[in-house]
Amino acid sequence: MGVIVLQLFAVPDGKSGPQVIEMLTKRVIALGAVLSGSFIVDCETYSSTASLGAPRSVHLLHNSETPASVFALLEAASGNKTVALVADNLFDLLMLKLSNFYTAKKQTKIESRGPRFEAGDFLVKLGSVTMGPAFKGILVEVEYQACSLPAACWDLIREFMQGFLGGCVPSTPPQYIQNRFGDMLGTIDGINQYLEQFNAFRKTTGIR
Amino acid sequence: MADHSSKLDIVQATAALKSLRSLRNNVGTLFHSLTEGIGLQLGQDSKESRFVAELQQQLVTVQSGVKEFEEAINNVDSVQVNLGNSGHLNQDCTPDALHLYESLVTSYRWTDNLTEYSGYATTLLSQNALKRSTLIHAKRRRLQPSSQNVAPQTIDSVINQVCRSLGDNVKIETFRPYGSSTVLQITLGKIMKGIVVLKRLMVEWVVVKGATEELIEDGKIDMWGESRYKVFRKVTENANAAMLHFYSPAYPELAIRSFLTWFNSYQSLFTSPCKKCGHHLHNLLPPTWRDLRTLDPYHEDCKP
Repeated sequence: MGVIVLQLFAVPDGKSGPQVIEMLTKRVIALGAVLSGSFIVDCETYSSTASLGAPRSVHLLHNSETPASVFALLEAASGNKTVALVADNLFDLLMLKLSNFYTAKKQTKIESRGPRFEAGDFLVKLGSVTMGPAFKGILVEVEYQACSLPAACWDLIREFMQGFLGGCVPSTPPQYIQNRFGDMLGTIDGINQYLEQFNAFRKTTGIR
Repeated sequence: MADHSSKLDIVQATAALKSLRSLRNNVGTLFHSLTEGIGLQLGQDSKESRFVAELQQQLVTVQSGVKEFEEAINNVDSVQVNLGNSGHLNQDCTPDALHLYESLVTSYRWTDNLTEYSGYATTLLSQNALKRSTLIHAKRRRLQPSSQNVAPQTIDSVINQVCRSLGDNVKIETFRPYGSSTVLQITLGKIMKGIVVLKRLMVEWVVVKGATEELIEDGKIDMWGESRYKVFRKVTENANAAMLHFYSPAYPELAIRSFLTWFNSYQSLFTSPCKKCGHHLHNLLPPTWRDLRTLDPYHEDCKP
C-alpha cells in the first residue's frame, strides 16, 4: 500500500540478463536487504472482436503480491486512458466465457519475474521481462510501504534507488507518478506502471 | 557556686589562693614553734632571748603574709550577683531557707548563659542560611493543586486551542471510551496517525502508525498494537521518550502543548533530510528523531 516506482534498468552491452540480476542482487544485499521469495507479474492482452465496433484492448494482469486479485484494464475509446477493474480470481474463467467478444492476442503474453527482497520498509523486486521465450529487459520495482504519498517520499525512494541502481535513476519522478504526485497511491498504480512498461517492451524489438 | 567562680579572673584568684596557702603555712609554723619550743643548739646561753627573736621573726612573716593576702583579695574582682531584695534570703537563719539564695543565684546564672549562647547561635545560623529546594517547591505546588483534577471541558478546550495553533494539516479527535481518560487521535496530513492517551492533561501512552493503517479495530480503538512498518515503530519509541521529557505535573497545559508541537514536526518525516548527515536514509530509515527544542530532524545515530 505504498508508493511503487518501476524503473527500467538498461542491460549493458556484453552482459546477459541473469548476470545483471546477479549483480543487482549483490548490491541490494549489501544495502541490508534480505531475500524473501520471488515474484511474478504477468500480462495477457485481449482484443475485441469486430462485432463490438471499434477495436479495444483489455489487459489482464496478475501480481503475486496480491494473489487473490485479477486486474483488468480496459483501454478507453479515446486517448490513452484505461479503465481499471480489480476482480477475484474467477475473472480468468469469465474471460474464457467471453471469447466470442474478446480474443486473446497470440504471442503477446509478457511477464516479469525474479527475486524479491525486503529492506526495512522497502520492497525490492528485480524482474527479468520475458515475452514468450524471448528475454526483453530488466524492470526494477521499488516500493516504500510506509508512505503512500509520492510528494512526501520521492526523495527518499530516489536516494534508496540510487544506492544500488546508480546513475540511471532520474532526479524527477517517472511521468506516471508526476501526474499523481499529491495523491495517495495504491496497488493499482503499480499495475498501471507495469502495463505502461510492458506496452513499451512490446513495441520494441530486441532487448531494451 | 562553681558557675560563680568560673566568672572570676583566674590569674588573680590563683595568686590570692597561693598567698592564702603560704599564710596558713606560716601560721602553722608559728604555732608549731610556740608549742614545741626551740631546741638548744651551739652556745645555749641565751635560750629565752633566742626563742623570742625566733617568734618575732615568724610573726613578722605572718604579718607580711596577711598584708599580701589582703592585697591579692582586693585584686580579685568580686562578681557578686545582686538579686535585689532577694539578697535578704541569705540572712534567713532557718535551715530550710539556707540554700535558697544559693540555688536562686545558680538558676540566675543558667538563664543568663542561655540568653548569651542563644544570641551567638542566632548570629551563626543567620550567616549559614539553610535554603532547602523542597521548601520552595512545596510552596509552588500549593499554588497549582489542580493537575490531578481537570474537567473534561477544560481538556477539550486546551486540545482545541493547541490544534488550532498547529495549522490545518493536523486533525485531532477526542474520545473517552473508558470513562474519564481522554484518547486523542491525531492525523498528520497524509503522513501518519497517532493515538495519545491522556490521564487528566498528562500524556500516558503514545502509539504511532502509518496513514494507511487502521486505528480502529472492531469498533474499538486499537491503542496497544504496533505499526506494521519499522519507521513508525521507531517514531513510537521516540514519542514515548519525548512524552517523558515533556512530563511536568506542575504545568500540565504547557507540557501537552509542547508535546503536540513536537509531534506536529513529524509532518516532514519523509521529506526533510537529516540535519547532521544531510541524507534521507540511514540504516534504511528516514530521520526519525526530532530535536526536543529546535525540532530539527536527525537519524537515530546522528542525534547530537
